[in-house]
Amino acid sequence: MRGSLASRTPGLLALAATGVVAGLASGHPELVLLAAPFLVFAGAGLALASEPRLSAHIALERTRLLEGEAVKTTVTVSNQAPRAVWLEFAPARSAQLGIEPSGAVAVRLAGGGEAELEFVVRPRRWGAHRVGPLLVRARDPLGVATWEGRIGVPVDLRAFPREQRLRELVVPLRTQPALGAHVARARGEGIEFADVRPFRVGDRVRRVNWRATARRGSLQVNDRHPEHSSDVVLLLDTYEEARDQAGGTLDSAVRAAAGLARAHLARRDRVGVVDFGGTLQWLEPAFGTTQAYRIVDALLASDIAFSYAWRDVEGIPLRVLPPGALILAITPLLDDRSIGLIIDLRRRGCDLTVVEVSPLGHVSPGPSSSDAVAYRFWRLEREARRAQLQALGIGVAVWEHDVMLGPALEGVNAFRRSARHGLLA
Amino acid sequence: MRLLAEIVLVVLAGAGLSMCVALLPSPLPAPRRPQTAGPPRPGQLEALERLVITAAGNPVQVHAYLRPRLMEIASRRLAARGQTLERLPDARGRELFGDRLWDIIRPGRPFPEQRDGPGVRYEDLSAMLEALERL
Repeated sequence: MRGSLASRTPGLLALAATGVVAGLASGHPELVLLAAPFLVFAGAGLALASEPRLSAHIALERTRLLEGEAVKTTVTVSNQAPRAVWLEFAPARSAQLGIEPSGAVAVRLAGGGEAELEFVVRPRRWGAHRVGPLLVRARDPLGVATWEGRIGVPVDLRAFPREQRLRELVVPLRTQPALGAHVARARGEGIEFADVRPFRVGDRVRRVNWRATARRGSLQVNDRHPEHSSDVVLLLDTYEEARDQAGGTLDSAVRAAAGLARAHLARRDRVGVVDFGGTLQWLEPAFGTTQAYRIVDALLASDIAFSYAWRDVEGIPLRVLPPGALILAITPLLDDRSIGLIIDLRRRGCDLTVVEVSPLGHVSPGPSSSDAVAYRFWRLEREARRAQLQALGIGVAVWEHDVMLGPALEGVNAFRRSARHGLLA
Repeated sequence: MRLLAEIVLVVLAGAGLSMCVALLPSPLPAPRRPQTAGPPRPGQLEALERLVITAAGNPVQVHAYLRPRLMEIASRRLAARGQTLERLPDARGRELFGDRLWDIIRPGRPFPEQRDGPGVRYEDLSAMLEALERL
């Protein structure tokens, strides 16, 4: 810990020195007498002051919770020194963690004593946070010297994003031959009726359509669409974000990605994630509940990393983008590099949909009249960019701030149905 | 000298009294909050804010930087109506976009000869954007 004189100590010493000097200069000993208590007080304080030996233990009630939830934190501070100290301490603060009480807590800790205090920690945003260390300021009982430092080992706290509950999902164009919840375009064993066709050797008797057989005079059987799964890759754009005091587009994007991943995994799809931005990270597509946890953990590490690097599809491993996978690009469309990647993927024949996390709710026009014109210009450019993507057959779900994502995805499905022939080309 | 001693006495007494008050237990000062800078604005918007200012006094800026952006917006808007900028008759272009905007985005517009001539003021640009928004 770093020791120093308390703010009042130089004043005390200056006062005592003034009294002594004035007394000697004027020949009045009463001035020296008047200054003596200050001198004795400061001297005694400095003589008795010794560096405190403090340790702290930080314990959280739980280390995994949803963003916005509160967790009780118990802090135990012990003083191993024989002398008592006055302490003020508070957990180290960050913009993402709300801590109550918000100010520092002051206690007197006897020699060899221990104090236990409770704080409430509330992560304002999803992510991997650290609670601690404690910022401590200690002073001797006379308040002449102080020591400042950090004690205690930080505790990791993981705040998971609040997911959007999604009933409607983007319907993939192509499915994989594994049991799932999507009606495949192919024909086989399933529930969804597809067509009636003449009987062939090997068809099961239970598939015979007796009414059609009676009408046509030959054996007819029902064809059905099988229920298949699909591969879904969530492409998270972390090149740039728009942010204000209430949050940013990346916050919303991660919430959307977590919700989409969970909903697709619940429909037995294989889901993977590509974090595409200043740094490139990925998680290969897989099934199951374990994958849901892996994805959320991967998303917690997402952050905007400033970079001039221009990446293209070649940088993404092939196994991360399986053929026929539905790619959901979650992006604020703020960076030309991510837009270029989306267009490149579409031109390579990928089944692609863009979830546009609108930055408009986080950005307001500048103060001048010309800034207001620039803002309108920007909005028009964004619309033009969206039209460009749609012209390439890419469905764009515009997701405004504080609105449910589900209706936006319904609109995309309608677009994809109307553009189906072009998409499959 | 006696007067000086009395003054020092009064000053010392006052300072001593205030020091005694200060020695009483007092609430410790709150820790300083970290100062955070304002959120950054999107690069696209900042670039446009600069362009709106620079285009006001420079026809080259208008031709080289403002025109392609306006053309892109106009093309996308026309495409939704099944039309293209390149095949739009001059009269129809003037009718849809207005004379000022059409003079900038019309196909084959020559590079400005006078590099220090007037550009497009933001009031005029605002009117052009209105025409695009109406389309």
